[in-house]
Amino acid sequence: MAQLDYCYQKDPDMVSREIAGEVILVPIRRNVGDLESVYTLNETAALAWTLFDGSHTVNQIQAQIISEYEVDEDEAERDLIELIQQLEEIGAIARV
Amino acid sequence: MDCPYIPELTYSQFGKSLLSRIPGNRIPISGSLELTFRCNLRCQHCYVSHGHTGIPGQQELSTSEIQRIIDEVVDAGCLWFLITGGEPLVRRDFLDIYAYAKRKGLILTLFTNGTLITPRIADYLAEWPPFKVEITLYGATQETYERVTGIKGSYARCMRGIELLLERGLNLNLKTMLMTLNQHEIEDMRAFADSLDVSFRYDAMLNAGLDGDGRPTSFRVPPQEVVQLDLQDQGRAEEWRSFIQRTKGYQYPGDNLYVCGAGERSFHIDPYGQLYLCMMVRYASYDLRSGCFQEGWGQFLPQIRSQKIEGDYICSQCELMPICGQCPGWSYIEYGETQKPVDYLCQVAHLRYESLYESL
Repeated sequence: MAQLDYCYQKDPDMVSREIAGEVILVPIRRNVGDLESVYTLNETAALAWTLFDGSHTVNQIQAQIISEYEVDEDEAERDLIELIQQLEEIGAIARV
Repeated sequence: MDCPYIPELTYSQFGKSLLSRIPGNRIPISGSLELTFRCNLRCQHCYVSHGHTGIPGQQELSTSEIQRIIDEVVDAGCLWFLITGGEPLVRRDFLDIYAYAKRKGLILTLFTNGTLITPRIADYLAEWPPFKVEITLYGATQETYERVTGIKGSYARCMRGIELLLERGLNLNLKTMLMTLNQHEIEDMRAFADSLDVSFRYDAMLNAGLDGDGRPTSFRVPPQEVVQLDLQDQGRAEEWRSFIQRTKGYQYPGDNLYVCGAGERSFHIDPYGQLYLCMMVRYASYDLRSGCFQEGWGQFLPQIRSQKIEGDYICSQCELMPICGQCPGWSYIEYGETQKPVDYLCQVAHLRYESLYESL
């Protein structure tokens, strides 16, 4: 389970693309993600993705989401933790 | 010629949902690049007429020029990208280009004859997997294969290439162009693919050379025999019946000459940096060397796309048009004009309709 003071870094073998306003993740290397799949990110997930840079904590990312979108603290935290779990599962991010 | 823009992709659900969100907006989501016209084989039916040397006097795009073009198509929203030729593996910088495209997040398909695949290349592809590799078989036996390719030893090298990819678990499809030179082995080719547990398809629609050379069309299987093969294959026959049923009552939409996705959702680039609507439409191109993809896609291709039907275009009144595949590109390659029905396509389509559907 992700803690609020953890930092995460993107895996360089998961490439993000923005196409027609949609942010998607494309796995490019063996053992990263499912190469048969494209992963799409909603707006808040796309914002979080930009902040998985190894220096922002989960707490800071949550604060950024709350400041930019109409979402309460609990919901933002719940969604963010779930997103982190999913991205970790497919190897898109790793804790630093 | 295979039309690569009708995707049979497991990503299709994503593609559909993406396209549904951009109604009316053009996006170059799917593209193809001929890395070279050169080839190590000398296939009798090949539509690329400069397989030995490429087009004399013209210089292929350099590695850095291709990388710049890849940057531009990625910026414009391209996601599915086909690398083809000629034989793309004759380029010494093939892996550099492949790796660059891969790292940019393009979903890559590779068309190759398979004969130049080495363990090193196969290892690299396994590490950075393409969406799929498609290898063309030219026959099920060495005799037939090499009769088509004109190169001794090419059959064994192709078999080795297939083996190298399958050993590494790569997603491989096999296919062939059906022609008089290999039609007697079509079932054996299918059986070979089945034995490897890979998909197989064939296409009978040989087109003339890109330079207007009619020689490739001399190897066309007669329409009656093409349809006879459809009838012998229960699955294929059923697919055609279902397609005919689905497209029944087809009405040509409006008065535009181009009604497919070329230039709306897809594009093609040749080895010299010429941008086209598609692989077939080669009579009008935009030079990416002196310009940029953004301009070619945004300004040049829409002009070509916007051509209207001139005078009487008999195919636009035919409800079998979806079955036959007639398009301005086919017409131009066959006859040097854009609205003339391609007899061979027309004959096969009508026979298919009569034999597979109307007769039921």
